[in-house]
Amino acid sequence: MRTSPFRIGLIGLAGIIPGMLVAVVLFLAIYSWPAIHFNGIGFLFRETWNLGNLYADPVTRRGVQVPIGAQYGILVFIVGTLATSAIALLIAVPVSLGVAIFLAEGAPPRLRPTLSLMVELLAVVPSVVYGLWGVAVLVPLIAHDIAPVLNSVLGFIPFFAGGSPTGFGLLSSSLVLTLMVVPIITATIYSALLQVPRPDKEAAYALGAMKFEVAVRAMLPMVRGSIVGAIILGLGRALGETMAVLMVSGGAINYLPGTITSPISTMASFIVSQLDSAEQDPTGMAVRSLAEIALVLFIITVIVNVIARLITRGLHVGLGSRA
Amino acid sequence: MQTQSRETLLRRTFLLGTLGGTSFGLLSLAPHRAAAAEVTLLETGSTLLYPLFNLWVPKYTAMHPGVRITTQGTGSGTGIAQAISGVAQIGASDAYMSTAQLKKNPGILNIPLAISAQTVNYNVPGLNNTNLKLSGPILAGIYSGKITHWNDPAIAKINPGVNLPNHGITPIHRTDGSGDTFIFTQYLAFSTPEWADNVGYGTTISWPSVQGGIGAIGNPGMVQACGQTAGSIAYIGVSFHEQIAKAGLGTALLQNRAGNFVLPNPTTVGAAAAALEGKTPPDERISLIFAPGENSYPIINYEYAIVNAKQASSDIAAAVRDFLTWAVDPAGGNAPEFLGAVRFLPLPEKIAALSKAQIAKIQ
Repeated sequence: MRTSPFRIGLIGLAGIIPGMLVAVVLFLAIYSWPAIHFNGIGFLFRETWNLGNLYADPVTRRGVQVPIGAQYGILVFIVGTLATSAIALLIAVPVSLGVAIFLAEGAPPRLRPTLSLMVELLAVVPSVVYGLWGVAVLVPLIAHDIAPVLNSVLGFIPFFAGGSPTGFGLLSSSLVLTLMVVPIITATIYSALLQVPRPDKEAAYALGAMKFEVAVRAMLPMVRGSIVGAIILGLGRALGETMAVLMVSGGAINYLPGTITSPISTMASFIVSQLDSAEQDPTGMAVRSLAEIALVLFIITVIVNVIARLITRGLHVGLGSRA
Repeated sequence: MQTQSRETLLRRTFLLGTLGGTSFGLLSLAPHRAAAAEVTLLETGSTLLYPLFNLWVPKYTAMHPGVRITTQGTGSGTGIAQAISGVAQIGASDAYMSTAQLKKNPGILNIPLAISAQTVNYNVPGLNNTNLKLSGPILAGIYSGKITHWNDPAIAKINPGVNLPNHGITPIHRTDGSGDTFIFTQYLAFSTPEWADNVGYGTTISWPSVQGGIGAIGNPGMVQACGQTAGSIAYIGVSFHEQIAKAGLGTALLQNRAGNFVLPNPTTVGAAAAALEGKTPPDERISLIFAPGENSYPIINYEYAIVNAKQASSDIAAAVRDFLTWAVDPAGGNAPEFLGAVRFLPLPEKIAALSKAQIAKIQ
C-alpha cells in the first residue's frame, strides 16, 4: 500500500505532541537524576527545604558534592498544591454548574451571547492580574472580614480557628484559583448543555417537570462525562498555577498549614520562587532538586488525570447499562 | 468588473507594501553599514540595580551611538548565572559570588558599581512615627519565632518610655531569591551567633518555621504586605524609601557593632563604607554588613556588576569596559543625578580605583 504524502504529513504533525511530552519528561528525569539519587524517597515526606550554605565550600555526601546543610523535602509543597486545588474545586464546581445551567436554561436568550462571552473572557485574563487583584483586594478582605467571621462561626473546628491571620495563605490562594477555574469549567459545561437534544428536554417538560428539575434531573445526567472532563481541565489549571498563587500564598516554608488561613506554598510557585537562588549553588544540586519537584508535579497530574478518566469510563458504563 | 478592480487594488497594495518594506529594510541597513562597530550588550539581574541601569543606559547610549544596551530585572542569581553562561555581558547582583562558585568559574569579576543600604520597617499601630530601636539579636528572635509580641521585654528594654502594644508580630520575608535577604540575614548572622549556627545567610534561606510569618514577592510586595498587615515587620531596599513613606511604615533605628542605634542616611552609610574601605581586597568581594565605627549603619552593601573577564570579541570587551568605567566614575554614572534618584551612595575614591583596575582586566 502506498502511503500518501498527506498521510505522512498528518502522522508527523500528530507525532509532535507526544514527542514533546516524552522529551520534556525525559529531560526532567535525566536532569534531576542526581537529585533523585541523593534525596531518595524521603524527598516526598520531609518537611524541611534548605539550600544549605551556598557561601561555604561544598561537602561530599552520599558520593556527591552538595552545599553544607543542604536538605530537600517537599511534603509542605505537595500538601499546599493538593489543598489549594481541592478547596478551589470544592467551591468552583457548584458555582460553575449553577452559572452554566443559568446560561443554558435560565438566562434570557437575548443576553445569552453577551454573558457567555464574558465567561470566556474571564478565562483568558492573565494569571498575574488575578494575583494583583488578590494582593490588593482579596488579602485585606480575608484578613479583616472573612477570617474573623469564619473564626467566630466555625471556630469550634480547629481548622477554622485562626490566631491572627494576615490574609496571605491557603484561603486566599484557593479563592484566587477558584476565580481562575470557574470560567473554564463553566464554559465547558455550558457548551455541553447546549448539545442536549431538544426532544429530551421537551419530554421532561411534558412530564410536568419544573425548569430546575429539567436541568438537574434530565440535562445534567446526560452531560456527566463533560462535567468530569471540565473539572479535570480546571484541576489541571489549579495544580499548575504559578504566579497568582505565589503572590497571595504567603510563601510558607518548613511547616504544614494548621488552619485555613495559614500561609502555604505550592509546588509550581515554589519552583519559580527558588530558581534564582538555586542557580547560585555551585554544585547544581538545588536546581536539580527543583527539576525533581517538576517531575513529581507531572506525575501527580498524570495520576489525577488517570483517576478522572476511570471515573468517566465508569459513568459511561453505568449509563450504557441503564440504556 | 468589480472583481477585476479589486484584484488591481490588491496588486497595487501588494506592490506598495513590497516597495515600502524593501526601502525600509534598506534604510535600516544603511546606518548599520556606516557604523560597523555597533555593539549590543545585555545587562540582566538585580531588581534593585535595574532602576539605576535604566537611568544610566539612555544617558550613556546618547553619548555613544555605536552601543546598544538592553536591561532586564531578573534577580541577582539569574544575573550571576547568565554572566557565567555568557548570555549576558553584564550580570547585576546585590550579593558577591561565593568562593566555591568562583573556584568553579575562574575569570568572573565582581565589580562594585555603587553602595546601597537597607531599612527595617514596621507597621505598629500608633508607633509608625516613632523610630523604634531594634538590634540584630532582637530581629533574629523575631524571625525565629522566639519574640512574638511587640511588648516583649527585650524590645521594651531598649525602647524605654515607648508604650509598646501587646500586639503579635508578623515577620515578613522575601519568598523570591533576593540580595536583600542576603544582606539582612548577614546582619542577623554577624550580630547573633545562634542565628549564624542554626540558619546562616544567603539570597534564599531556610526560614525557621514561624506560624503566622509570611513571605512576599519583591520589594514592592514587601511594602504592600507590611502596609496592610498590622503588627508586621519587613526589610526593604533603601531605594524604596518613597513607597515606604507613602505606605506610612515606621523605620527602625538599628544597633551597630559599636552598640549605637542609627538610621540610614548619607553620614551613617558613608561611615560604614569608610570603615571597610581599607579592608576591601583587590577582587572586592567583601561584606559591608555590621561595620565597625561609632556612627556606621549596619546594613549596607556594594552593588555588583558580574562580568566575565574574557568576552566573546574585543569589540564587546571594549564596549563593556567603556560603559563600566563611565558607570563608576564620579563625573559619569556615579554622579548624584543618577544615584540620588535611587538613594545609593557613590563608591569611595579608593574603591572606584579598585573597580577600574578590575574593569581593565576585561578582554
